[in-house]
Amino acid sequence: METASEVRTDRVPASATIERKQTKPVATRIWNFLISIKLAIWMIILLAVTSILGTVIQQNQPPEKYRQVYEDWAYNLMDRINLFDMYHSWWFLLLLCLFTLNLTCCTIDRLPRVIRTVRKPRLTIDAAMEKTLSLTERWKHKGDIPQWAETYRSALSGSFAAPKVTEADGSVHLYAEKGVYSRFGAYATHAGIVIVFIGAIIGNVFGFKSYVNIPEGKEASHLDARGGKEHIDLPFSVRNNKFWVETYPNGQPKEYSSDLSVIENGREVLRKTIEVNDPLVYKGIWFYQSSYGQAGPPIVQVSVKKASGEDAGILSLAPNKKREIPGYGTVSAVNFEPNFQGFGPALQVIVEKPNKVPQQFWLLQRFPDSDRQRGDAFTLGFLNIKENFYTGLQVAKDPGVNVVWLGCLLLTAGMMISFFVSHRRIWIRLSPGPHGKVEVTAAGSANRNRPVFEKIFFAILAKIRKDPSKTNKENPA
Amino acid sequence: MNTLNVHLFDLTTLLFGTASVNYVAYLYGKRETLARIGTWICLAAAVVSTVALGVRWAESYQMGIGRIPVTNLYESLVFFAWSVNLFYLFVEWKYKNRTFGAFVIPIAFATMLFALTSESGIHPLVPALQSYWLHAHVITCFVGYAAFTVSAGVAVMYLMKAKREEAKVTGGIVGLFPVSKVLDDLVYRSIIWGFPFLTAGIITGAAWANYAWGTYWSWDPKETWSLIVWLVYAAFLHARITRGWHGRRAAILSIAGFAATIFCYLGVNLILSGLHSYGS
Repeated sequence: METASEVRTDRVPASATIERKQTKPVATRIWNFLISIKLAIWMIILLAVTSILGTVIQQNQPPEKYRQVYEDWAYNLMDRINLFDMYHSWWFLLLLCLFTLNLTCCTIDRLPRVIRTVRKPRLTIDAAMEKTLSLTERWKHKGDIPQWAETYRSALSGSFAAPKVTEADGSVHLYAEKGVYSRFGAYATHAGIVIVFIGAIIGNVFGFKSYVNIPEGKEASHLDARGGKEHIDLPFSVRNNKFWVETYPNGQPKEYSSDLSVIENGREVLRKTIEVNDPLVYKGIWFYQSSYGQAGPPIVQVSVKKASGEDAGILSLAPNKKREIPGYGTVSAVNFEPNFQGFGPALQVIVEKPNKVPQQFWLLQRFPDSDRQRGDAFTLGFLNIKENFYTGLQVAKDPGVNVVWLGCLLLTAGMMISFFVSHRRIWIRLSPGPHGKVEVTAAGSANRNRPVFEKIFFAILAKIRKDPSKTNKENPA
Repeated sequence: MNTLNVHLFDLTTLLFGTASVNYVAYLYGKRETLARIGTWICLAAAVVSTVALGVRWAESYQMGIGRIPVTNLYESLVFFAWSVNLFYLFVEWKYKNRTFGAFVIPIAFATMLFALTSESGIHPLVPALQSYWLHAHVITCFVGYAAFTVSAGVAVMYLMKAKREEAKVTGGIVGLFPVSKVLDDLVYRSIIWGFPFLTAGIITGAAWANYAWGTYWSWDPKETWSLIVWLVYAAFLHARITRGWHGRRAAILSIAGFAATIFCYLGVNLILSGLHSYGS
């Protein structure tokens, strides 16, 4: 557990005392404002509260939709302050900038001091320092200082960490520490956040997001305009060899897939079947399976046989277009069912013969001879349906995305370090006492999880004090 | 469609209900035995619900649509209750105090009751959800949610305890609580566990979104609310570590954070769903 008092002395800058002196120059006052934790907390709260707005007000909808919901004056006001695209509005970006500035200034203000204390730790303790530490213990020994110093040095090395030994004013000081990098955890987290923002800016400036529909068998290198940018011409083209939909037994879509080829200088350089959650990447440009649709009418193939069973050819039918069977009449396909009454794919056709009432009936793909039951001069069979799809691809280039991941990694690692790694310090001072004895003072501190360190501290002391019979234990607590 | 897994989850609901009654009765009746029975029931609920999750997973494979059972409202609710229960049991064991149960297990029970009203069938995954990121994303988020739940439950205990301590009143149901300092510490400790997990949950979500459609952040309501939750706890941590916010104010922030968490988890889908369909 971290108490406020210790941290305050450790980390909070002099800003609190400076604030009282109003005579400071403006630049200093601005600087003190920018490095204050108060500002940081206010920024966090402001960002949280304003962010709610955009989740309640639907973002980036066409104006007609808003006008249905809001009165004219409300619409105009909200439009004026960019509430319909608030996360990209000038004031929200300003908040983000101020937040980043605050983070950066806090780091600039505090990090050098932390580096200094880490590089030049307090190697000795005096009476004043002892009072600020909650863990202290004193005892006395017979013998001489160098001998005990050596004993404690090796004992501390074994049970904690190798101590630095210094001599001052006739006393010998031992200082050992562990987990000093925990002091940098918060800075790593803050740097991580700034790096994420940098990555986002790189992506916005040097990347693009676009969209392209490619019919089967066609290729494309020209991307549609999106987000206020000009259209984009790729240095290569992408061909959609095939698009298909797989379904679960209940008919729900299971997977959308596109078989894509990358064509560069007239050559296929890469071929991949992409699915949702499995994109294609070429030269830093990512192609995501995003949607699909009908690129044109499907073509149906119907076999024609004479009553004798003799083949009379195959007809290709476009929807609702009549085709003539010479010496018989016309046939047109009007309807398709992927699963007609549990009998599988079926095609509904209309047969019109001169001076006769048109006949409308279903042809089942699985039962090619089912049309014989009409007992007519010609029988029809449903061979296949060739649907003509286009695949809808989301296309994105984001050179900043790896910077974002780097920032995320740093942010998380820093957080774990600052929460779970404790900077533990142990000091031992050996001074000459009365009657030729050695006076020993041990003190410890930890910036996290003190109760655990307390146990460790006393366990270590018990271990390194080899001669318990002669000790004179005092517990100042 | 009532399959084995649903029956097991129904049993889990019953166990959480019984355990809640035991823990609350313990506070009023002051009989340690009641709470001990509560603990055993929670352990049983942990086993039964873990088996139920496994069974549901196996059943999805039998249906030919095998996938992790955390992909719709029903499954997420039972998984939330499962996480809360496990996190609670860990805290109870670690702090050797059973009074927390009355403030945490009823939340798990209420969640399971809510799950009872949700459609419990196993349905195949839409293509957008078929990704290994799903596992990492859901598990990290829910560990975070569970930790925040425990923190808020303990924060309520803190507020009750601190009030009594100020008035120098001993006894009553609050008398059984650990001292307010321990409660305050636990409020903080649960959050420093939940916060990195929430962070990881947001990052895995962003990574997944980037892999699925090329945008790691699109200010979708769910994303935005997860950020709001993150900001609330970030404010908590800064206020506590650097400005010494302890006790009452910290407890209130923890409860506010929990409210934001629940809105992010359920509110966005149930209330804002008319504005945005998420994950489909």
